[in-house]
Amino acid sequence: MSVAKHFSRKYLREEVLPTPFCPGCFNGVVMNAMFKAMEELGIEDLRNFVFVSGIGCSSWIPNPLIRADSLHTLHGRAVAVATGVKLANPRLNVVVIGGDGDLVAIGGNHLLHAARRNMDLLVVMVNNMVYAMTRGQLAPTTPLGFRTATTPYGNFEPPINVAKLLINTNANYVARWCVSNFHKLKQSFKEALSEVSKGFRFIEVVAPCITYVVRYEGKTPGQKIKELREACVEVKSISEIDDVERRGKIAVGVFKKELKPGYVELYESYASRAREASQK
Amino acid sequence: MVRALLSGNEAVAEGALAAGCNFFAGYPITPSSEIMHYMARELPKRGGSFIQAEDELAAINMVIGASWAGARAMTATSGPGFSLMQEGLGYAIMTETPLVIVNVMRAGPATGQATKAAQGDLMQARWGRHGDQMIPVLAPSSPQEAYDLTIEAFAIAEELRTPVVVLSDEFIAHGREVVELREKVEIPSRRKPRDPSEPPFGSPDPRIAPPMPPLGEGYYVIVTGSTHNEYGYRDVHSFETHFRLVKRLVDKIRLNVDKLFRYEVLGDDDAEVAIVCFGSVSRSAKQALRMLRSRGVRAKLLRLVTLWPMNDEVVRRELRSAKTIVVPEMNLGQLIYDVQRLAREDSRIVAVNKVGGGIPIYPSEIVEAALGGSR
Amino acid sequence: MRSIAFLGRGGQGIVFAGEVIAETLFEQGLYVAQLQSYGAEVRGGSVLSYVVFDRDRVENPFIESFSLAIVLHEAGMRRWMKHLEGSDLVILDELVSAELRNAVKLPISRVCVEKGVLGRENVVAIGVIAASGVLDPSVVERVLSRKRGFEKNIEALKLGLELGRDVADRVAAVLRL
Repeated sequence: MSVAKHFSRKYLREEVLPTPFCPGCFNGVVMNAMFKAMEELGIEDLRNFVFVSGIGCSSWIPNPLIRADSLHTLHGRAVAVATGVKLANPRLNVVVIGGDGDLVAIGGNHLLHAARRNMDLLVVMVNNMVYAMTRGQLAPTTPLGFRTATTPYGNFEPPINVAKLLINTNANYVARWCVSNFHKLKQSFKEALSEVSKGFRFIEVVAPCITYVVRYEGKTPGQKIKELREACVEVKSISEIDDVERRGKIAVGVFKKELKPGYVELYESYASRAREASQK
Repeated sequence: MVRALLSGNEAVAEGALAAGCNFFAGYPITPSSEIMHYMARELPKRGGSFIQAEDELAAINMVIGASWAGARAMTATSGPGFSLMQEGLGYAIMTETPLVIVNVMRAGPATGQATKAAQGDLMQARWGRHGDQMIPVLAPSSPQEAYDLTIEAFAIAEELRTPVVVLSDEFIAHGREVVELREKVEIPSRRKPRDPSEPPFGSPDPRIAPPMPPLGEGYYVIVTGSTHNEYGYRDVHSFETHFRLVKRLVDKIRLNVDKLFRYEVLGDDDAEVAIVCFGSVSRSAKQALRMLRSRGVRAKLLRLVTLWPMNDEVVRRELRSAKTIVVPEMNLGQLIYDVQRLAREDSRIVAVNKVGGGIPIYPSEIVEAALGGSR
Repeated sequence: MRSIAFLGRGGQGIVFAGEVIAETLFEQGLYVAQLQSYGAEVRGGSVLSYVVFDRDRVENPFIESFSLAIVLHEAGMRRWMKHLEGSDLVILDELVSAELRNAVKLPISRVCVEKGVLGRENVVAIGVIAASGVLDPSVVERVLSRKRGFEKNIEALKLGLELGRDVADRVAAVLRL
């Protein structure tokens, strides 16, 4: 009896399956959305892609799972390494996949400055709301009141709204979706890999940790998806974000979409100015 | 051959460019910034990449990324930045990433005296990273050597797939001297695996670095700072994988000591007095050697150009006859640990330690220490 | 091996003087080493800048006295007093009140005021050295032509050449290789 292979397998290293993720982990949804986008874009293999990740559960998505060049770097440093890769070989599509702790806490400075530079990277932030790999500590994205290993009496630190923060930088593309918005998330991946293929592109995926969030709440993954579906409100303009969030909902959507030249393009014109100046 | 009047920092930059450096990421810090200024001016017009990073953590990690993407990459910094870059260096060691890092030493710890020369980072250069590791450390004593050793550092980095430290100091960095520039430097291309079956992280002979697959050419290389097998797959549990990897990485440097260890010996073979030194202090030491010998003292100077890996045999041999060993250092005593380890037991070891204020160790102080007055 | 030092305070172009001397001697075919030391990072702090030169590579630039030292301001003299006392010849601007047995005083700053080249004490001092013939005035001119403030500097250089005539022999005696 033969079983049809899942479409995503062509992008994966068969030999390392199964994945290292907990049963029900939403990382699989993120991967599937990205792979589906790639398939629909006609990307057959990933030889022109380089995936860079840091430390954390979602940092294991590319390395070693994805059949592509990948660098599994230090905690927080993925964006910096990715910047080096992109500048040294601008031909490559460089994708960073990481968690909220990795990209925003320990790596927050790199994220901010890559966005400021409109660095030609696609950064995918899997927001699982906690530090999961280290067993459920407070993250900068943990909601208020949430109990974690390091806030056993309930979180009192207001969380950061990363997507909203990045809207105010030079980033070309900022989107946020929940794992319950599979189709829209896939569309965002497609946009960030084709239509807006330059500059800094940021996709946040709200994907609560199955072990340290969902199970703590006593819910099943299915219940959580249903809950997220109800909690997510798609906004058409950024002016609606605050209003949605005031109502305790999660604003999702494409918050920003521009086609400004990315860093690589700007550097090229800078370099030609440098060459002209030296010829004089 | 072109002769130029260059500061040590300019000489480092010239050396890097001569060695084919085409990527520089750095963060401003005294007294190394002029290296960055030079690269900022030169790289864009030569088709290379220059980026001012948001901090030193970013700088070293950008260099790592660039190196994997095929660039000959470097950064330059000083004490506080060198501290921040240690983590990245550890990653570069573990992933066998060629890169050159210049540390222009200033007086620390912390902010210390940013504009004043020191040699306090010797042990940090050797031991700064956590875990078992070793990387080559080269210490110039003049702008000429800053130029030559930067070229050398790139060659070593590429051949052994390792980070290499060039340990300069503020005196060398800001002092201007005559530097002979080479017309042409051989830039061998990086060895790639013959095909994806050749392991990028394993080598039957630990002295030979495995080939390095560049990104974007279909090798589907897996790079990780976690313990990995010879194909890059993470193995964070087994003893064998970890021991084999880390031992090979250390042996790669240690077993190449004959190739890597450079030193200079001057003076009498059967010297009673030996001066052991490195870096800019060696200049005073050379004059001190001449002063001692002109007074009829049988004396020699052992200058370490390569600090790590240290060739114990050479140091032991060169210090065999010495009854008195003077170790002048612009710190409170670091090189002296290895001298104590390698000198004969009955020798008198005299430290000359002076650091801060931009005041060098003078020849007379070394002579005085050699002739009796211990400090 | 010979050496020339400039001492003064920040803003007097002490490092500039060291650079010009180093470049001149380099272009005259000698090996040089040029170093500097700042007492403080702020303007007005003491500054020392010196050049060691030789026919061969300079063995050691960390010297304990100078062949010739020119002091343009008292700031920071105390820090280098041992160096100055051990030097072969010291030229003090006449406004420097200190006395040294190996020193001569020259009206460097007064000339600058009187001849309208204010703030060019450093270049006048270079002229004083060049009067000895150890620095070739035409090479000094060439070096200065690559730097800012060329015309005023040439004026100052000429004033220095004039002013240095009386001490030319003594300067030559301590600097000639």
